[in-house]
Amino acid sequence: MIYPQTKKIMKLILTIFTILVLVSGSLMAQDKADFTRKYVNHTEFGGLFGRVKYGGFNGGAEATENRLSLTAQMFQGIKWSSSLATGITVGMDWYKTALINPVALGARYDITRGRVARLYATADAGYGFAWFHDDPQGFKTKGGLMVNPGLGLKYGKPDGAAFTLGISWKRQEVNVEKASWNNEVDRTEERIYNRLALRLGMIF
Amino acid sequence: MTCIFGVRYRPGALPADDFVLCLPTNLGRDVSLYYSEIKYSETYKLLVLMKAKLLSFFVVILSIGLWSCNDKCTETRVTRRQTSVTRSMMEIRGQIKAQPPRELVRPGKMYVKGNYLFVNEIKEGIHIIDNSNPANPKFISFINIPGNGDIAVRDNILYADSFADLVALDIQDPAQASEKGRVKNVFKTGMFDGGMWTLNEAIGAINDVDVKFVTETYTTNCEENISPGGWWWSSPWSIAFDGAYLNSSSSAGQAATSGGTNGQAGSMARFALYENFLYAVGQNSMQLFNISNPAQPQQSTNIELGWGIETIFPYENKLFIGSTTGMFIFDNSTPATPKQLSVFRHGRSCDPVVVHENIAYVTLRTGTGCGGSQNQLELVDISNPTSPQLIKSYQMENPHGLSIDFPTLYLCEGDKGLKLFDVKDKYAIDKNQIAHFKGMDAYDVISLGKTLLLIGKDGFYQYDASNPKDLKQISKIPVGKAI
Repeated sequence: MIYPQTKKIMKLILTIFTILVLVSGSLMAQDKADFTRKYVNHTEFGGLFGRVKYGGFNGGAEATENRLSLTAQMFQGIKWSSSLATGITVGMDWYKTALINPVALGARYDITRGRVARLYATADAGYGFAWFHDDPQGFKTKGGLMVNPGLGLKYGKPDGAAFTLGISWKRQEVNVEKASWNNEVDRTEERIYNRLALRLGMIF
Repeated sequence: MTCIFGVRYRPGALPADDFVLCLPTNLGRDVSLYYSEIKYSETYKLLVLMKAKLLSFFVVILSIGLWSCNDKCTETRVTRRQTSVTRSMMEIRGQIKAQPPRELVRPGKMYVKGNYLFVNEIKEGIHIIDNSNPANPKFISFINIPGNGDIAVRDNILYADSFADLVALDIQDPAQASEKGRVKNVFKTGMFDGGMWTLNEAIGAINDVDVKFVTETYTTNCEENISPGGWWWSSPWSIAFDGAYLNSSSSAGQAATSGGTNGQAGSMARFALYENFLYAVGQNSMQLFNISNPAQPQQSTNIELGWGIETIFPYENKLFIGSTTGMFIFDNSTPATPKQLSVFRHGRSCDPVVVHENIAYVTLRTGTGCGGSQNQLELVDISNPTSPQLIKSYQMENPHGLSIDFPTLYLCEGDKGLKLFDVKDKYAIDKNQIAHFKGMDAYDVISLGKTLLLIGKDGFYQYDASNPKDLKQISKIPVGKAI
């Protein structure tokens, strides 16, 4: 099941992505003549922070818990101008009961042009696969849509390698078919991981 | 609205402080005039770093703040709900009659006899289908038998259970089946769709349950298989016994030879014919019926077996009885008094059995109510029936019924389809998968040599199996349709 909300955000990010790619040509023209397209790699790792509220059936109390999962990802793309790069992002997210590999279209855009630190916008949208997730007997985990827009700071020379500190919002959908118990005939779970992603990385 | 982001400072005073200034655009004058005023005011000097670009930036930041960072997980469960009902046996006994053909709704077990197919409609009765042309099977009639789950046919007599009773019907004219004999109050309990009924002999009533399927959603913590309160103890019985009738359709194997001509049932059948006896396994015992006068079955020995009995498979002079905890082997050389030779115990799960020569093929399945944790095919050496030994077990996906036409083993994998194996090498069955047919729901299969009958939730299929590598569908009767 695909949630309309995710679809909407995804559409938005993909539209922005398309626009970015389209305008990159004109941006390039605006840029200094000495700028040449080049390969860019942005490798990050960090944590996905979130909370969950659950329970409350049969008159029971609701409970909330903290969630933290490890995340790592690599963006590889082409730098079209001094500020814009577009490409593919692949990663791995270690949710407690799902190992998800997102594959997404991504963009990195420098908003400011400082000498030491620059603010950048980041956006990835794609699909998280459960290729490497090993299900227990009777369970089947399937991935789902993923969106991940955010902002970050780059520390380093504008034309060289830089450290990055990124803060973004990540939404990952997952579907799990579960082994049925007792009187159940069918049991499925729709998960939406809504997380705040804090990542450290390198861009070069 | 237009925003500017800047740094302001008093000349000579440090540190400077950041500020954001947003002004409505409907002020009636150019916003830049305000900027100029601020910019050139005597107190402050404005360093405008960025203008319009930042608006979008703030929108993004704001959005991040607004979007929740809460995981949201919902679990949808389709649960079986039971409502108690009391049925009168007197009323039920009057309801057995042949009716015009009707469509398949919830097909249960299937049984084959000559050119006729008998398909159980769970708890309702039996469809009689003329299969003389497998490409075009024709529904002949429907026998309304309340509480029916099992079928066995010898010559022109069809044996069926109807809650507590065993009924013998004359099907000489399949369109006009008529009751010939009945053994009353012989089955004390039974189960349909995981709902158990019991006989209240004192008042001639069946304490039954109507089963409904309810869909519910729960909020979960996204990480564990949490259970809503009361979930564990809500129905402790059914863990062990649901599987028995739920998967009431798996089938395979050879019918025992005997005086008359019998039809063919399957690995999940609860009825078996052998010589002058009909063997019917219930939840906890095996009931024998003497059918030397086929139209008038007589109640005979009853053998206690312990809970969780599911299937009976006669092979040569032995009876193989599948239960949720193991496989019983009975010596049946004296059909009136079968003797238990051994029990092959395994983990708790649903398990139809078929046998060929010295090897028993047992499938173990998890799933609704079976309570096990294994999905596998086990080969058991029964050359010494008093001491069955495991040969090897193979991992499967969701094995249901099975059928053997040596060396081909047909194995239903539920919604994963049908698998065919060459079982000549008993230690390398997994390496000798002949084919895997997907795209149908396979619960039950009967191999008739060149023809293969398959039943599942979505209908009844017939295949030409003369070349097992290339099964050809001859016909299909979809659920919800009569042909």
